[in-house]
Amino acid sequence: MKQCIACGMPMKNPEDFAMGDSAKEYCRYCSRPDGTMQSYDEKLNSLTTFIIKTQGLEEKAANLAAKSMMTKLPAWKRQSPI
Amino acid sequence: MLKNKRQQQKNLTRKHLLEIAIKQFGETGILATRTADIAKHANVSHGTVFAHFSTQEDLLTAAVEEFGSQITQRLHELIDTNSSLSKILDAHITGLIEFEPFYTRLIIERRLLPANVTNTYVMIQSTISFHIGIAAQKELDQGIVRKLPVHLLYNTWIGLIHYYITNGDLFCSSGSVLKRYRHELLQHYIDLITI
Repeated sequence: MKQCIACGMPMKNPEDFAMGDSAKEYCRYCSRPDGTMQSYDEKLNSLTTFIIKTQGLEEKAANLAAKSMMTKLPAWKRQSPI
Repeated sequence: MLKNKRQQQKNLTRKHLLEIAIKQFGETGILATRTADIAKHANVSHGTVFAHFSTQEDLLTAAVEEFGSQITQRLHELIDTNSSLSKILDAHITGLIEFEPFYTRLIIERRLLPANVTNTYVMIQSTISFHIGIAAQKELDQGIVRKLPVHLLYNTWIGLIHYYITNGDLFCSSGSVLKRYRHELLQHYIDLITI
């Protein structure tokens, strides 16, 4: 099964992919409305928001966890400054 | 061909080391476990451990990731088949039971562990919360579940589970505290959030 290169989510069904296109390497949560992949800063921001929304953590802890996760993902491996 | 076989063997050894590490961390505690103990129980040389994981921290992070990927994969599949909130929560407990000794040590010792472990732990909790939130939203739309913020819906659930796990010695002196109380905790939580 493919995994999103930008957030690691498993992508099985076409609707999991950006624009429902299973040829894409990233998921619907990591794409912009026009179908292109979000930038590093956009993804860092949305992942931080995701952590706060799902656990209520303070922004600093959420931001650190998001940055740390992004260093492990193919899309961001080279550019993540921790 | 030979290369493939070698790669396969390498993957198997890595998997075996992770299984033994998870077991050892659970039995003796994360901080108290030495890589030499893991090597001994895995029947490999100490050097083999470092051929797969460059530091002890890498090994521990990989162990936490292994736990996380198994538990979240199961929840992901259940969401795919439109399972009820109760089924998702039940699967969460089942997943925790499979890793209970390790998970218990992880939540008790977490603040003393490297930042990387905490960051990995945070992502796993968020992924679990996300899946529970999806199932809860469906039941909220059907008027079954109370309208609660996702983080409080999750923190109420995980807070209950963690209270029993961290005080497991008081609730259940031998065996699995989650196995013993799973039905009571699940039923209580469902009653709390149901309209």
